[in-house]
Amino acid sequence: MSLLYDEGQLAIATESRRVLEARVESAELLRLLEHQSAFHIGYWDTAREQGWCGIAIPEAHGGLGLGLIELGIVAHQIGRTLAGAPFLTGSFGVARALLDLGDDALKSAWLPRLASGEAIGAVAFAEGQAVLPAQTALALSQGKLTGVKPAVSGGAHAAVALVLASDSGVPVLALAALDGVARTPLVTFDNTRCAADLTFASTPAHELARGDAALAAAMQVLAAQAVVTAHEQTGGAEALMERARDYALTRRAFGQPIGAFQSVKHRIAELYGLVELARAGAVHAASRDRQHDFLRAAAAARIQATESYDTAARDTVQVHGGIGVTWEGGLHLHMRRARTLANEQGNMLFWEDVLVDTLEKAAQ
Amino acid sequence: MTDLQAYAAAAHSWLASVAPRYGRAARKGLNEADDLALGRAYLKARYAAGYGGINWPVALGGQGLSHIEKVAFETEEMKFGFPTHYFGISLGMPVPVMMRFCEDKAFVRERVIKALSGEEIWCQLFSEPAAGSDLAGLRLRAEPDGNGWKLNGQKLWTSYAHLSDYGVIVARTDPTVAKHKGLTYYWVDMHAPGVEVRQVRLAGGDSHVNEVFFDDVRLDDSQRLSPVGGGFGVAMATLMIERYVATDSSGFGPHLDMFTSLAQTVQVNGRPAIRDGRVRSALARNYAMRNALDAITARAMLMMQAGMEPGPEGSLNKLVSVRSRQKLSELAIDLLGTDGVPFDEHASVREDWSTSWINAPTGRIAGGADEMLLNTIAERILGLPQDHRPDKGVPFNAIPA
Repeated sequence: MSLLYDEGQLAIATESRRVLEARVESAELLRLLEHQSAFHIGYWDTAREQGWCGIAIPEAHGGLGLGLIELGIVAHQIGRTLAGAPFLTGSFGVARALLDLGDDALKSAWLPRLASGEAIGAVAFAEGQAVLPAQTALALSQGKLTGVKPAVSGGAHAAVALVLASDSGVPVLALAALDGVARTPLVTFDNTRCAADLTFASTPAHELARGDAALAAAMQVLAAQAVVTAHEQTGGAEALMERARDYALTRRAFGQPIGAFQSVKHRIAELYGLVELARAGAVHAASRDRQHDFLRAAAAARIQATESYDTAARDTVQVHGGIGVTWEGGLHLHMRRARTLANEQGNMLFWEDVLVDTLEKAAQ
Repeated sequence: MTDLQAYAAAAHSWLASVAPRYGRAARKGLNEADDLALGRAYLKARYAAGYGGINWPVALGGQGLSHIEKVAFETEEMKFGFPTHYFGISLGMPVPVMMRFCEDKAFVRERVIKALSGEEIWCQLFSEPAAGSDLAGLRLRAEPDGNGWKLNGQKLWTSYAHLSDYGVIVARTDPTVAKHKGLTYYWVDMHAPGVEVRQVRLAGGDSHVNEVFFDDVRLDDSQRLSPVGGGFGVAMATLMIERYVATDSSGFGPHLDMFTSLAQTVQVNGRPAIRDGRVRSALARNYAMRNALDAITARAMLMMQAGMEPGPEGSLNKLVSVRSRQKLSELAIDLLGTDGVPFDEHASVREDWSTSWINAPTGRIAGGADEMLLNTIAERILGLPQDHRPDKGVPFNAIPA
């Protein structure tokens, strides 16, 4: 798989950008911020109509049979427009685990529904400060889950969850339908993520992997999701850098556009650099999917993308001055999303450790 | 295997075969004169093997291939530590400018072949004490003299002028017009009467740059490479000629693997440094950034192979990589503790953290200071306004000093 997009891939980028820009307005996103666990219905309908839910699911299971590169291309545009729901990444994580580890019955039960977007998937590994806990509070006993998974992105609406649980101290990767699971929606600073605590009470679950294999498989799912998120973060950073540039060209102070002051223009030039580094890292990681160095490439992409989006959010608000901190200006939507994406699928500290672990192994 | 991969593989095996004679190990302990002699011998062997002037026209002594093969060769060549740096500027800018702008093609062909085989070295006489980033502010004068010209003034920061046989130079021919419009471009014989080269010792201790004085140096009009007053355009073309060069995400300092090994070897508070969160964070961030720079380079190569123009993001490499090398070298010296105290100014910038650190500022200034690169990104790529420029449209001799 190439670092260079082909014509078909470029067409996906153009078309996804066009529909998203036509259908997602920041006024609606601002309104949704004040509603707990509400998502942008127009966005999600678009995603379903366009087939994005099934991009990386094989055609035999109702998907488009494309891969991480194409999903990344769409995620980039989603990041640009701040699309208002986290479901694509969650469903992708669940589908990936099913494809790798599920039996035929499980695959045919879920993959077509995930591919069409009829069912939403959520990935629930983290508990508190542990991103991939080897010991979880969520317990699995005789095929049933009991306990709480906190702050699951998309958890308020998901039909199925991929979870890490412990069975008498042994880590298990399991899939559970969420009928009958109690959901406690959370107020967050980015409410369209629809985060909820999921309380399992003797909920039936299908075991997908056990022991070290469960942790390794969970890491692979997380890494693949992190690459999707890195594209989304890159798109967000790119949109911010462009807004900073556009504002610096129009806003005047001391008799000239503020973009003529080096303190401002150099700040924006640095953002350009961060956007291009994030893009290159993300595209590289997608091109390494299923290769021996995928985890390292994914960790590197994720670290660069998080740094880029956070910095772009910080600096673009600064370039805008007062208007940058108003509710109506909407830049805080990106601030919120940048921090949310930095935390979902493992924070900077987690990925720095993952990356250095792989570098240590390579040096031995 | 693609044709390009086959080309790179053949280049690699040739390079590996001559590495024991001219490479890193063979250079250990050599003084500059012996190292330069080894470099000349390597270039002669390289030219004989068909790897000199890879993308230059056959008629002028080159190999007639494309910049893709050239970059592929350079990428392989960089791995062996050959003594090529003496010839980098020479073959990078002045000689290509001669190929493009000098009309006496027989003379050019002779120079090209001698330069490619290491017999002659060219320098580029651009910067002056009062004209660095602001190149068009240069003052060295060229005045009509019979059927030619007479040069008077001073250049500064001229790399390898002390080893050079020829140079290309920009001089002011008309101080009464706006600064960009009064410049003219020539080639000069560095052994001509009136040329005096003095080496400038840099902070790290070495002396590869020079100040060059011109005292009534006589040029024939055939040495003029631009229209009178058209020198700035040729100077800009010079800087654009070598867009396609092999890049290095380590900022021409030590490879990141060296930092990983160091962190595995030394301790912080009684634990391996690699277990220290601060060290891990620095390593991870640097890896992520260099990984991205490498991906930008790899994508540019693919674009060139596909006949496309690579994107402007290639210009980030120098800005980002040298800054990071500077800070990482500081951290490495910290980690070394008392082991970092002894200093060998002749150590390689690629293999020694102190040498890398002390020479890093040069990398952030030479060939476009960080601030100029940021201006270029802001203005050329993003379309942001130019800085306030009080010298714009003002005759050179009326610009307030």
